[in-house]
Amino acid sequence: MTIADIVAQASAPGQPRSVGLSADECLKCNVCTTACPVARVTDLFPGPKYSGPQAQRFRLGSELAPGSGRLSVVPSPDRSVDYCSGCGFCTTACPADVKIAEMNNRARGALRSGRRPRLRDWLLGQTDLTGRLGGLTEPLANWGLHNRLVRVLIDRILRIDRRAPLPRFARRSFRSRLGRHWRGRWSANAPAPATSVVYFHGCAANYYEPEVGQAAIDVLERNGFTVIVPPQVCCGLPLISNGLYAPARGRARSNIAVLAGYARAGYRIVGTSTSCTHTLKAEYREMLDIDDADARMVAEATWDICELLVDLHAQGRLDTRFGALDRTLPYHAPCQLRSHGIGLPALDLFELVPGLRAIDLDHDCCGIAGTYGLKSEKYEIAMAVGKPLFERIRAGGAEQVACDSETCRWQIAAATGARLRHPVELLAEAYDAYLAAEP
Amino acid sequence: MATADVAVVGAGLAGLTAAIRLAEAGARVHVLAAGHATTHWAPGGIDLGALPDSRTSQEAIDRLAMVPGHPYGVLAAELPAALAWLRAVLAREGFELEGAPGDPLRAIPTAIGATRLAALLPAGMAGALPAWAPDETLVVCGPAGFRDFWPEAIAGALRRPSSWRGQTPPGRIEAVSVELPGLAGRRNLSSLDLARLFDDPAWRRAALEGIARAVAARSRAPGRVALPAILGLNDHPAALAAAREILPLLPFEVALAPPSVPGLRLYAVLRGALRRHGGRLQVGEAVHGTIDAAGRVAELRAPAAAREFVLSAGAVVLATGGIAGGGIVADGPATLREEVLGLPVDGPPAGNWLSDDALSPAGHPLETAGIRTDRHLRPVAPAGSTADGRPIAENVRVAGSLLAGQRYLRERCGDGVALASGVLAARKLAGVAR
Ligand SMILES: Cc1cc2nc3c(=O)[nH]c(=O)nc-3n(C[C@H](O)[C@H](O)[C@H](O)COP(=O)(O)OP(=O)(O)OC[C@H]3O[C@@H](n4cnc5c(N)ncnc54)[C@H](O)[C@@H]3O)c2cc1C
Ligand code: SF4
Ligand code: SF4
Repeated sequence: MTIADIVAQASAPGQPRSVGLSADECLKCNVCTTACPVARVTDLFPGPKYSGPQAQRFRLGSELAPGSGRLSVVPSPDRSVDYCSGCGFCTTACPADVKIAEMNNRARGALRSGRRPRLRDWLLGQTDLTGRLGGLTEPLANWGLHNRLVRVLIDRILRIDRRAPLPRFARRSFRSRLGRHWRGRWSANAPAPATSVVYFHGCAANYYEPEVGQAAIDVLERNGFTVIVPPQVCCGLPLISNGLYAPARGRARSNIAVLAGYARAGYRIVGTSTSCTHTLKAEYREMLDIDDADARMVAEATWDICELLVDLHAQGRLDTRFGALDRTLPYHAPCQLRSHGIGLPALDLFELVPGLRAIDLDHDCCGIAGTYGLKSEKYEIAMAVGKPLFERIRAGGAEQVACDSETCRWQIAAATGARLRHPVELLAEAYDAYLAAEP
Repeated sequence: MATADVAVVGAGLAGLTAAIRLAEAGARVHVLAAGHATTHWAPGGIDLGALPDSRTSQEAIDRLAMVPGHPYGVLAAELPAALAWLRAVLAREGFELEGAPGDPLRAIPTAIGATRLAALLPAGMAGALPAWAPDETLVVCGPAGFRDFWPEAIAGALRRPSSWRGQTPPGRIEAVSVELPGLAGRRNLSSLDLARLFDDPAWRRAALEGIARAVAARSRAPGRVALPAILGLNDHPAALAAAREILPLLPFEVALAPPSVPGLRLYAVLRGALRRHGGRLQVGEAVHGTIDAAGRVAELRAPAAAREFVLSAGAVVLATGGIAGGGIVADGPATLREEVLGLPVDGPPAGNWLSDDALSPAGHPLETAGIRTDRHLRPVAPAGSTADGRPIAENVRVAGSLLAGQRYLRERCGDGVALASGVLAARKLAGVAR
């Protein structure tokens, strides 16, 4: 296969655009650099243009593995790409549709592939394992993770920053609290697809914030849905963003195996974590090259919960009997949500709640970017990235702040002392307020 | 599916102007843009018009308004009010636009040591506007090691009288590079890095004092200092005030290669104004839509993760910026395609697209490609068709560089057309609240 063949194949109509070859579209305009929160605060990262399309020229050569016809990425000419947080603002800002963040992520994957992963990176990817262990050993685990001395040791040994925001394990996981919900794989006996949704809770709602999962169930049930909670594992994003593609593929395969059954039967899959839902929607294909019919079915069936509720509203099917929540509510839209390309559905929903004055904080990134800001060598970068956001929140003095993504919630809560809530928790509260006000 | 009263496509000067005006009038506005606009590239002045032989912008505007099919035919009348509005939006954030359309067009130094014509500039750059007296010195001063601004090269080129377009040059031109505090070991400094440093009051004082010493060593008043456009990104008004206070000569900023710091400041002000009025802005959405049988566009779609994002709206402002902004694309060697609605494109005949010099003073042939509209900015059927000149999309208004009939680079009218058409499009759509 010649270079020309590969280029022709990759640019054939209908072919999803190759992440690597999109570097060809680069105009060198530097607009991406203006949008990069990391390059804004550190010299350690030269910015998206350099680490993306510029460096890509050096990576493409060996993409052309003879006869394979497959485009894969070879290591980056320099390692600074590891400082990319993966927030994705560069990709949205680029006027030429260069897939910069995706390119960087693949380059990181190539840097890691074939090597033994750092213990820390591996561990950060094991959210199911740590979640289960933490749940079993709670409260000891919570004590440890919030004890200064233990954190200093973890910092020294693992390089997870002692100051970084770690969540608290819930005493009982979300799944273990579930009652009557259908929790199996799809079968003909499952509740009917027209009146049910499949809930992908992810690790955060399961191990750390079961209240978010409960709020999702309450809101969905209030709108007449039966909620199905099928077996699931971590979506794999923490592995992907640490460049550990091989184990991530394992996670992806097992989720797809379960969820495709539902997707094929016409169910919608809804998630409360914008990162998990984005992984199901896009990253299995874009990052992990899993692009079969099942993966596509799952992607197309997946919805962020606020996206789904806005869609219901547009069809006149959302129960809009919200009680009043009289408060000012600053809202931070997480990077992962922006990568969905669905706007800011939480703000649309907040408009429906009487008394609720939501304010779009309009700051790019809180810094945490999944597990990025936990790492000792990146913690200070992450805090500098989020600083204007934290200052705005502190200056506003609001007690509560809303945000759709768990790691951002933990980061912002740790940095500001505010109480961070998922939008769906506020909607559940507003539904309760309505019921309470009913005579 | 999301809903809005008006969907605005494009986040450049035209789209943002239309969006803010509509939001001010109480409409629910949603801006969708494929990426950032030419605000991030263009030099940062507000160009209303400049022809090689026009003395003022007003003269250029008046002449262009007489050219058949030129957008200024309809828009020239809108310009004064539109400009007053923009000045007010900027003033709220402490930004000032200096100069007026009736002022003489002046030769303004650029970062390659050439000059361009301008009459209306943000305060930071406006120090270059007054005519040079023969006893004045121009000191071109930049940070050592900054690759986008080479004082010696700029001064060298500016010393050629031919650089000044027939206008009187400064009596003396000097160049000086200054080590700025704490930058010795830093590589890859960009205009953005430097501008952000100037946001920090303590750092900028030290930096400006260093610049002041270097400038004073070269020259005494009368004179002015040309600095790269890096005097603050988020707090430019304060950085500019400090520069004026500390430097011994009047400073002015010179636009650099993209990304444009002055353009980013303008964008931030417009974006803030839109948010204040409750408008939404979504970047990263390459939208498309269709005109239905009733001649309306009911919704716009954009590929998003896994599914299309759908925005249903009562009306659409199309401000995708023509060939430079990405709204018009050359599809093979013979077809020009309007990206969003597939509107008929008015452009140079096929086979006449290639030009040896993209920056030729005559302009590039593709620059004229655009969408023809009626007086209400509605797109119309192509010349030669049976419906020639009749609107083909009732609830769509076209604004900015996407409008046919202009050569926005050669005639230097891009910002004026964007601003005036943004304002007019918004007025035409006032009252579409659903
Ligand atoms: C490098 C450069 C320098 C320039 N310098 C000058 C100058 O000095 N003086 C001057 O008068 N003019 C200049 N111009 C022209 C400038 O484009 C106009 O002056 C004016 O600012 C155009 O504004 P606009 O809002 O119409 O379009 P643009 O600023 O081009 O904005 C277009 C917007 O539409 C979006 N878009 C495009 N296609 C789609 C789609 N399918 N879906 C969604 N969004 C889409 C883009 O992402 C962008 O946000 C320059 C242009 C360039 C490229
Ligand atoms: S914004 Fe896009 S086109 Fe511009 S330099 Fe970055 S990657 Fe290249
Ligand atoms: S993904 Fe984020 S951190 Fe990485 S280059 Fe892009 S904007 Fe910068």
